[in-house]
Amino acid sequence: MGEYKTYRPKRKILKWLYLYVFMWFTGRAIKIAAKVDDEVKKEFDSIPNNFNVALEVLPYGPALVVGKTEDGKVQYLGSSTKDKKIDLRMIVHNIENAMQLFTFQESTAISFMRNRLYLDGEIPYAAAFVRVFDAVEVYLLPKIIAKLAVKRYPAWSLIRKLSGRVKIYLRAGIGV
Amino acid sequence: MYLPEYCEFLSPVQIASGHHVLEKIPGFLKALNAKRPLILADKGVTAAGLIGIVEDAIKDNVQIGAIDDDVPPDSDLKVVSRLSDVYRKNNCDAIIAVGGGSVLDTAKGLNILVSEDADNLMEFAGANKLKRPLKPFIAIPTTAGTGSELTMAAVIADHDNFIKILFGSRFLLPDIAIIDSRMTLTLPAFFTAATAMDAMTHAVESYICLQKNPLSDAHALSAISLISKNLLNVIRKPDDQEGRLLLAKAATLAGMAFSNSTVGIVHTLGHSVGGVCGVPHGTCMSIFLPYGLEYNYHLVNPFIAELLFPLAGPEVYADTPENKRAEKTIEYIRQLNQDLHDATGGRHARFLSEILNRDGEQMVKKSHFDAIARISIGDGTKFYNPEEIDYDDSMLVLEASWDGRPLNRNLVKKNA
Repeated sequence: MGEYKTYRPKRKILKWLYLYVFMWFTGRAIKIAAKVDDEVKKEFDSIPNNFNVALEVLPYGPALVVGKTEDGKVQYLGSSTKDKKIDLRMIVHNIENAMQLFTFQESTAISFMRNRLYLDGEIPYAAAFVRVFDAVEVYLLPKIIAKLAVKRYPAWSLIRKLSGRVKIYLRAGIGV
Repeated sequence: MYLPEYCEFLSPVQIASGHHVLEKIPGFLKALNAKRPLILADKGVTAAGLIGIVEDAIKDNVQIGAIDDDVPPDSDLKVVSRLSDVYRKNNCDAIIAVGGGSVLDTAKGLNILVSEDADNLMEFAGANKLKRPLKPFIAIPTTAGTGSELTMAAVIADHDNFIKILFGSRFLLPDIAIIDSRMTLTLPAFFTAATAMDAMTHAVESYICLQKNPLSDAHALSAISLISKNLLNVIRKPDDQEGRLLLAKAATLAGMAFSNSTVGIVHTLGHSVGGVCGVPHGTCMSIFLPYGLEYNYHLVNPFIAELLFPLAGPEVYADTPENKRAEKTIEYIRQLNQDLHDATGGRHARFLSEILNRDGEQMVKKSHFDAIARISIGDGTKFYNPEEIDYDDSMLVLEASWDGRPLNRNLVKKNA
């Protein structure tokens, strides 16, 4: 009998760290955006209570888990899907694909098209979550970068964009 | 030729196409290790004598488990659940679906329930919920339109909630698609027009939407050319068996194209109008098709321009200045709808307000627009449309397509 060596994918520590920090901050920003932006709030209203969504990178993570509690509050549930009830998964095939997506070399839509990102769950909720994600990216990123990340950069008023951006950065940063 | 950085193409379905293909079914079943198929159809298929033709072609060599022709035109979760009882009670081990999109999609839903030994189809709603191959499944389309025999998706209604639910998985693909000219020969002119425009929409949208690729493009262009050359001839000469077969082949080609490059706003709105108002899918497609092109014009007009060649032929293409070809394509499709309207004695609707039910009542009312637009923004096809689609965008297209006004392209929201 021959000997067979088991190969395990190597962790790419720096890329993993970048994604961990990006997804951690974006998860917290989503929670705050649901409080300060009416459109994001409306999107979460269309998602049932007690419903969790995970955006995760295969095979070792990280992940971004957000959900709605029994009483409809939007929560950031951390960077791991372990031991969590996940109702909708948006899965990035590997860390390189995740880097393309989260360094804005391609938009969420193009990631779907190129099968770098796939869904496990109901599509209407995924569509709502993508709209939330797009709105948060518009708040967090300068226009020149956000335009690469979303399909259509929205014509928001400067006041909406700036006040939302300040609130989200401050509150996501200090975690309230 | 458009060469994306990355593309995928999957089409594992065995296609048997010709004038006398049904007779090969016993051999196909044997190869699939199946002995007792359940034959699914609708009343219209039986009334047109098509089940009789299928039965005659196979009954000497196959023990048919059961024939059920009670699939309604807009099938739903309850129908699929009832059929799973029929399948189990008759110890069937395969499915032969004979019909249009509703029958074929119902068969896909049924195949999920009987293969997974489940009772609740909603457990499998959405994308990629299936993890293993299903029971043997042969699809025999009787409309040259849906392409459902080549698609890895099924749309099944939930009438209690007025929505259509999408199921997507490679395991939904039939094992074999039988394209036999006898199956579409008796299709009335009005249905022939609507279903062929459904196929046309599959091909056109697959050519302009985000997942287009050289392989899907090749199939789409062939489909558009075949439909454009044969549709009006077949409407005028319904017993043109060769023309019928070419339309059926075009629908299959279009199905293969859009199953791999998917579709956009025409389907986004069409699914919702179908769900809310019960309008037949092909009718929605033919109405929304020119609007879908106008809506995406600012992003994909070079692709729209290229469609003029298969649509109108080389002379028209060459005679049209390059910067006018995209608009000419849209104009050509509007004119095709007008010609079909005339050739079917007005039954082929050109805009939403013209769609009537059997009692002559308007099926789509402006009061439906809010529900249609809300459902549209949760439809999976919106991901693949070149331009973003939100509630206001859907309303913009609905308003214009209500009375047949061309879309004012200046009102389409663009990148800020």
